[in-house]
Amino acid sequence: MNWVMRVWHRDRLDRDLDKELRFHVDEETQRLVAGGMRPDDARRTAMAAFGGIEPIKEAARDVRGSRWLEDLVQDARYAARTMRRAPVFATAAVLSLAIGIGANTAVFGVVDALLLRPLPVPDAGELSYAVRTGPSTDGQMLQARSRFSYPAAQRFAAELQAVHGRVGAMAAVTRMQVTAGADDQAELVLGQLVGGSWFGVLGVAAQRGRLLAEADDVDIGGAPVAVISDRYWTRRFGRDPSVVGSTIRLNGYPVTIVGVAAPRFEGFWIGEPVDVWVPTGLQQQVKYAANADIDGDAKSTQPWRPQDRIAWLTLVARVPSPTPRSVASSAMDVTFRRDLEPLAAKISDPQRRAFVLRTHAALADGSRGMSSLREDFGAAIIVLMATVALVLLIACANLANLLMARGASRAREFALRLSLGARRGRLVRQLLTESLALSLVGGVLSLLFAKAGSDALLRMASDGPAPLSLDVSTSWPIVLFAIAASMVTGVLFGLMPALRFSRADVHDAMKSGGRVVAASGGLSIGRLLVVAQVALSFVLLAGALMFVRTLHNLLAIDPGFDAARLVTAKLDPRMAGYTPKTMTSFRERLLAATREIPGAQASAVAMCGTMAGCHSISDIDVPGRQRGVGDDADVQEDYVSDGYFGALGMTVVSGRNFLPSDTPESPRVAIVNETMARHFFGDVNPIGRVFVEGDKYEIVGVVRDSRINGLRDTPPRMAFYPFSQHPDTLMRSVYVRTRSDVRQAAEGLRAAIREADRGLAVREVVTLAELEERSIARERLVSTLTSTFGLLAVAVACLGLYAMVSYSVSRRTNEIGIRLALGASPANVRWLIMRETLVLLVVGLCVGIAATMPTARLIASLLYGLTPRDPVAFASAVAVLSVVAMLAGAWPAWRASRVDPSLALRID
Amino acid sequence: MAAADRSDLLQGTLDMLILKTLDASPLHGYAIAQQINRTSRALLHVPQGSLYPALHRLENRGWLDAQWTETESGREAKVYKLTRKGRARLETEIAGWRRLTEGIALVLEGA
Repeated sequence: MNWVMRVWHRDRLDRDLDKELRFHVDEETQRLVAGGMRPDDARRTAMAAFGGIEPIKEAARDVRGSRWLEDLVQDARYAARTMRRAPVFATAAVLSLAIGIGANTAVFGVVDALLLRPLPVPDAGELSYAVRTGPSTDGQMLQARSRFSYPAAQRFAAELQAVHGRVGAMAAVTRMQVTAGADDQAELVLGQLVGGSWFGVLGVAAQRGRLLAEADDVDIGGAPVAVISDRYWTRRFGRDPSVVGSTIRLNGYPVTIVGVAAPRFEGFWIGEPVDVWVPTGLQQQVKYAANADIDGDAKSTQPWRPQDRIAWLTLVARVPSPTPRSVASSAMDVTFRRDLEPLAAKISDPQRRAFVLRTHAALADGSRGMSSLREDFGAAIIVLMATVALVLLIACANLANLLMARGASRAREFALRLSLGARRGRLVRQLLTESLALSLVGGVLSLLFAKAGSDALLRMASDGPAPLSLDVSTSWPIVLFAIAASMVTGVLFGLMPALRFSRADVHDAMKSGGRVVAASGGLSIGRLLVVAQVALSFVLLAGALMFVRTLHNLLAIDPGFDAARLVTAKLDPRMAGYTPKTMTSFRERLLAATREIPGAQASAVAMCGTMAGCHSISDIDVPGRQRGVGDDADVQEDYVSDGYFGALGMTVVSGRNFLPSDTPESPRVAIVNETMARHFFGDVNPIGRVFVEGDKYEIVGVVRDSRINGLRDTPPRMAFYPFSQHPDTLMRSVYVRTRSDVRQAAEGLRAAIREADRGLAVREVVTLAELEERSIARERLVSTLTSTFGLLAVAVACLGLYAMVSYSVSRRTNEIGIRLALGASPANVRWLIMRETLVLLVVGLCVGIAATMPTARLIASLLYGLTPRDPVAFASAVAVLSVVAMLAGAWPAWRASRVDPSLALRID
Repeated sequence: MAAADRSDLLQGTLDMLILKTLDASPLHGYAIAQQINRTSRALLHVPQGSLYPALHRLENRGWLDAQWTETESGREAKVYKLTRKGRARLETEIAGWRRLTEGIALVLEGA
């Protein structure tokens, strides 16, 4: 019988042992009787020879080798009995633990999905991706820093062959329009162009058909094939196996589905689950034309693959062990520098040349894929993780205090057991089992709503219409986290009371009829716990106030445009087959249709638009101006229709607006924003000045700065060009300002787009106020959650303080009675009790401030318009905590002053 | 145990005696104690306080196998039987004991 079985059959084993020993005594008795002894004496003698049956039983139990587990089972049963005896306490404790652990598990689910989980591919640790480093990449997004040309990918692959490394190239994940079969309903999916070696490098398998192979990606515009993901297969095709071999149209181009990738594999970009993969050779056919660095002398309308001056592919490398990543990383740098140096040599300005030459390339850990969310949201989610962990700690301290208070009533039981010879370790173990039982029940309950919590977090953290696409379904790491969190919690709140009561002074406890006579004043465990609670809640509250102030600062920003009653839609006419030649007629049809929307006041279109997540950045020359170092000549550009500034409420502060007289034949004109005017022309009036970006542009107007890229981002240097002079240019945003209801206007805009082209899928129609709100979604999330938890923490800490002071008042009732009898005034007594509250508060605040000062630096990147040592936040946190704590202490103080001296003296 | 002419069992020898006794035939606990007492011509007395913990220990180590069987008197008794592992153990114990007594004898004679 192994030890698990032994514990299982513990009762039977004990019964057997009893039976065996009784048999022995009976046999001995019979033998003695046979020898002539009287039966009574014989039995007594036999028993005496045994020397007591119980110790033998104990000894026999000990040799079973499963004693600890038997004790555990016994303790657990005892714990269950204790819980049943105090159902209110047990329910309250379990529920608060379930909420506390559940909040931690919910946040951990997101942390795991975003920051910890390896890609679901074999040997994910061997994967890397290439990035450019150096001052020229500062402030660039990860996707932009990891762009290389196709020829560069091939050179790197050749270099890596020496260490048996392989390279797969992939373009950015982009929205593509799918039309499948006879039903012509256009659907937007996430698509990605990948090199022929990409699936092989990642080591993904096909669950149906095959994946893309080298042969699919040899010719430019070659194999019209596609692979779909498990999720897309389920969502769109209901897992129909006959989908392999069928044809779909991707941005209008027919491709044949050759296979379905393995379940759970959704690409290399975490948070951007790919639906369809096609070979890079189809770049022109599927009209992939964004997310690239295109040099001035490159031909962006020709196929990108053979061109060395168009960087558009991220390189994923697999370097088999034992070669370390650093070896492959230097190979990458060598390849990159070999291309860079001759280009840099052509730069005449020595400062600029040195700046460019400081750029390098390296391989980064790709075992967890890539994610832009890690940069935007990683710090916020860690702050949230810390917040919920602190709240759980405060709840632990509170439960420890509650257990101590309950323990006081059980002190007699413990004292009795100690005096009967129970070892102290055994008592500690039993008490810990009780607290662990509470926390484990809480932990298991927490799993019921942790997933819902994670989902809510993903919804709140999203800056788009849909929740963040992270897989937070309950998995082993999440369950293990919940169990570990429960265990730690149980030990944390159970250990202090356990240690405290297992050394209960036997005599005192027995004598005083079950009441613990604690030393008055001094540094009791209870006081320490209250101080810890006050300190922790200060940290949370000060942090929360900084986030609330950040949000407040962001909301107070003047965005530079008028978001009220403005609706916008994002679309991509290329997906419906429009070419530069047909773009003008579509744009005019659409603008005409928008003017028919009931209530429409103004409408406009733009290539990028405002808060649309679209940037086009170019390097310009201003004749007669010396270039500085770095990106100092970069400007963000946009093409707009002539009513754009009016429709968005952006004021032209000097010069003129675009006019119908600006035609393709007239001289090129541009309107710049204030930041750009100041940067290039200082105090000089920029109207009439000229800059060169391919063509020569004359500045005809200056428009007010606006937060084009989101409320958090300071206005970039902007140049606007009129569509009327660039009729072929793509348009992707349309705006309608309404006099009436925005919902009606949104419906009207949808209808207008349908009228302009039936086959064009619209990503969404949304108000500009909503876009503005989304650009600060994460700040709102962090400030809402931290302030909720911060206030909760303050409430819990003050409850703890109240309980502590009340307890001390009840203990000092007769002392207070004596003081009053000797002539102390009620005010004296109130002060006596308030002093206790004050001491706990002040010590707690000091510890809290000392703890916040150095750690607040860590949240600096999440703040806006204040420093991490914001005096307002600190002072407000002190004020809030003080007021609430004094209120919590005032009630017991008032009660103490109302003690009737004659009653108080009679109590004992 | 109080009798002066009975030697107290040397630490660790009880296991060996139990194994040896069971080598002849399976027995219940009481019979094992009686058997040791008898074969040692009442020189050795097994204290009950050590017998049952020892039996359970040997059983847990897999050296003994136990089964509830009916005795002649019609009562159920837990009868222990030597396992193959137990037999091997007995041999090592005996070899060890022989070496020990030989060593002790040499020391006593030499002194």
